[in-house]
Amino acid sequence: MSLWSRIRNTLSPASYESGIREELDFHLEMDRRNGHDAREARIRLGNPTRIEEQVRDVRIATWLESWLLDLRLGARMLIKYPGLALAGGVGMAVAVALAAGGYGVMTNDFLSPHLPFPNSDRLVSIELWDSAGRVPERRILHDYQSWRDNLKSFEWIAAFRTLHSNLIAPGARPESVRVAAMTASGFQVAGVQPLMGRFLKPEDERAGSPSVIVIGESVWRNRFAGDPGILGRTVQLGATRHEIVGVMPEGFAFPVNDRFWVPLRAAALPADSLTGPDLMVFGRLAPGATIESAQAELTAAIARAALELPRTYARLQPRVTPYPLAFVGMSGPDDTTAALSPQALFISLMVLVCLNVAILVYARTATRNEELGLRTALGAGRRRIVGQLFLEAFVLSFLAALGGIAIAALALRQVASATLSLAADLPFWISFRLSPATILYAVALSVLAAAIIGIVPALQATRRRLQGFRLRGAGGMRLGKTWTILIVAQVTCAVALLPPAVSGAWNDLQDGIAGTGFAAQRFLSAELSMDAGRFADRQTELLRRVEADPQVSGVTFSLTIPGDERDARIEAEAGSGPVETKFNRVDLNFFEVFHVPSLAGRGFESGDDAPEASAVIVNQPLAQALFGGNALGRRIRYTTGGPAPLNGEPGRWYRIVGIVRDFPTGVSPGMRGTNLKLYHAAAPGQLNPAMLAIRMRGGAPGAFASRLVDIGQSVDPGLNLRKIRGLDEALRSEQWISRLTAAVFIAITLSVLILSSAGIYALMSFTVSQRRKEIGIRMALGADWKRIVGGIFSRALMQLAAGAALGLALAIVAQHASGGVLIGENANIVLPLVTLTVVAVGLLAALGPARRSLRIDPREALSEE
Amino acid sequence: MPKPDNLQGALELLTLKVLRRGPNHGYAIAASIQQMSDDVLRVEAGSLYPALHRMTEEGLLKSEWRRSEVGRRARFYQLTAAGRRKLEADEQKWNTVSAAVARVLAAAGNL
Repeated sequence: MSLWSRIRNTLSPASYESGIREELDFHLEMDRRNGHDAREARIRLGNPTRIEEQVRDVRIATWLESWLLDLRLGARMLIKYPGLALAGGVGMAVAVALAAGGYGVMTNDFLSPHLPFPNSDRLVSIELWDSAGRVPERRILHDYQSWRDNLKSFEWIAAFRTLHSNLIAPGARPESVRVAAMTASGFQVAGVQPLMGRFLKPEDERAGSPSVIVIGESVWRNRFAGDPGILGRTVQLGATRHEIVGVMPEGFAFPVNDRFWVPLRAAALPADSLTGPDLMVFGRLAPGATIESAQAELTAAIARAALELPRTYARLQPRVTPYPLAFVGMSGPDDTTAALSPQALFISLMVLVCLNVAILVYARTATRNEELGLRTALGAGRRRIVGQLFLEAFVLSFLAALGGIAIAALALRQVASATLSLAADLPFWISFRLSPATILYAVALSVLAAAIIGIVPALQATRRRLQGFRLRGAGGMRLGKTWTILIVAQVTCAVALLPPAVSGAWNDLQDGIAGTGFAAQRFLSAELSMDAGRFADRQTELLRRVEADPQVSGVTFSLTIPGDERDARIEAEAGSGPVETKFNRVDLNFFEVFHVPSLAGRGFESGDDAPEASAVIVNQPLAQALFGGNALGRRIRYTTGGPAPLNGEPGRWYRIVGIVRDFPTGVSPGMRGTNLKLYHAAAPGQLNPAMLAIRMRGGAPGAFASRLVDIGQSVDPGLNLRKIRGLDEALRSEQWISRLTAAVFIAITLSVLILSSAGIYALMSFTVSQRRKEIGIRMALGADWKRIVGGIFSRALMQLAAGAALGLALAIVAQHASGGVLIGENANIVLPLVTLTVVAVGLLAALGPARRSLRIDPREALSEE
Repeated sequence: MPKPDNLQGALELLTLKVLRRGPNHGYAIAASIQQMSDDVLRVEAGSLYPALHRMTEEGLLKSEWRRSEVGRRARFYQLTAAGRRKLEADEQKWNTVSAAVARVLAAAGNL
């Protein structure tokens, strides 16, 4: 019965049963036509309902029996060949863990998470990207207002910015909390009703209206003990008291991960094009509109704006994307493709692993020739045999998939605990958990794996058997050319693929345990921000009071912590460049506080921090790269189309006034990028937020954290200090990623090595057992054992050598083609090391079977007929 | 009258043998067995149809609906390659066993 009709019968038993009934009716009619009257014919037929039941039972029993038998056989095979089960199982588990774990996190958390809002697929983010498409332009208050009034594709459009405010309660230390300053329409976009009271209204956005706030259910329960009379009570954020007008239901954390919502008062903000604070804009598509139609309408709107203000809008492109993408850094033009490309890699790894296992299974299947022959003689069709081998393979691949899911779950738990400190800033839908869809995907992968490792060898084996599986000459049955090619290809892949993995593991392991390269453990770092005006005064006062503290030896601030500088692209006046670089904006005393020696020129002086100042300081690698070292007095500028600091307009020239030593040189979030660095001076108030770095005289910096908060409060309750932690900790906060990738590379390396050696082992074992008789005769005739072993070894050695040579050539070509990036600078060590290891492991694997050939007793071998 | 379904495997063997001559429906298979055995073996519908469906399930037979000789639609069964191999194997086995049984009976009769 064809698979299709089998599925059809299972899915629609009614039509199948009416078929049986028709068959029995026909039987009755034939009986009548042959001279039996109706009553007689019915008696002769028997009870038709019972016959129908019997037919049904027979079908189900036959079906179940064959499946159960195959599953049992599969389980027995695992026990009988533990080496194959272990090598293949571990390899597949690693591949499934990577593919399913990667897929799960990518889809559930990043690309298409489920949002708990009505018709959440209608929610979109609306962004402007610069024409190079590399960075979003977020100063879009003006544009938001114009879109809100003019666009027809959206039922609602909303905007918000994230603030960090001090939540002040009597008798408690102020706590920095995340506050969404959102337009009232944001709640309409979400479409969720409040638990109590109301959400924000457009009137709340007007200047001069009372300060109101909506809080989340968890805040109401934990901070206000679930007070039923909560509406009308107040919350103090910074210097402002807000009246609570509503409580949102449990789990509502829209738009990102928020529990406090205040109205976005746009009127108080500058509203010219590309001014004002960074905003995120999102909306709900109008009925009938699609992302594409909304994108088209917005593109036309920006094109019209570009006619009026070409300097501002010509370089900007609007992007309408599903809501979550903009919040996980996936809304760029190529981000989705980039996010899914590792998936292609993981699946190819999976296929490679499966082909390796298929080699093992084929060698095993060939030794089971007799058993399969017997089953064929007993009436099993080719499809039946292939089905059996598929199910056997499926037992292995399914167990491997379970193992892979377990590995992925463990790894994701590691990721979740490593990101715990970030959890408050991560979008609420990111959970790093395995979803049912991911588990289904893993099971689907195991079916794919079973198809490769079961069906391919089975088709090969049954085809040969149908042609007549005769012993050929003294060598007996040999593995076909296909499989020799596969073994060579497999060694080739191992030698070609392992160097990047080994080199990656080595580099990531080093990064994962490296130090920061300077005395970061003596610094406390914190993010300082303030929503209202007078920030410059307040920051200056804060810095003065912190510096005066006896525990502190110095304090400075910068745009980003050292080591986490932002990307830019610059070119030199003389025409060299453009080069990728990093930039920071720093306090005048930045280099002194961090003890970074000046190599030439001067440090920053007062006046350098004025907005129109052009003095910049570069690090020694940048001076070397652009000017061959002699950089003092030379000029650079940011290139158009590339990322640049907010005040670093493209085209404006900056003069290099000093060169400093490269810093920091150890582990940091930005260590993988370029080490060319460029510094601008910044005055208090210019950076909001600013990163503070406080150098302690002694003792743990963490002990100063609460003192810092107290000083901040005494200066101004509106000064917000958050992410207060040791600079060492801040720099190392992403080190776990390196350790995780190192673990992934090591797992890939080991599973490829194990599988490679297992493939060679299986092939050798197979050859030796097939040639028992021949070896027996030769030994009985007094042949030299060295020649026998040599003969066996030579085949393995030839395949290994061919594979190694091909793989090495591939690796070298790839290394050159990638400009040396693929394997990195260790290529001269890694390449020969990997090649020798693969060959050595292969020879070791061949050793066991070769030794076994020596133990063959000629009398036994010859009497085995 | 003895029924072939009391002898394990006999009904299956006979069915395969009858279908060797070409596709046919259940009634014709039963009639053929009865006729060829000179009315000695009578196949009951309650045994025949479950057996036909089991053999179809096992891949020994395949079935399709066709117009029958009386003009009415009937399910026709046909041997598959696996069914033909099974027939050869079973026939050989049956011959060996029945010859052996005959020898034993003959020997016992001489006691």
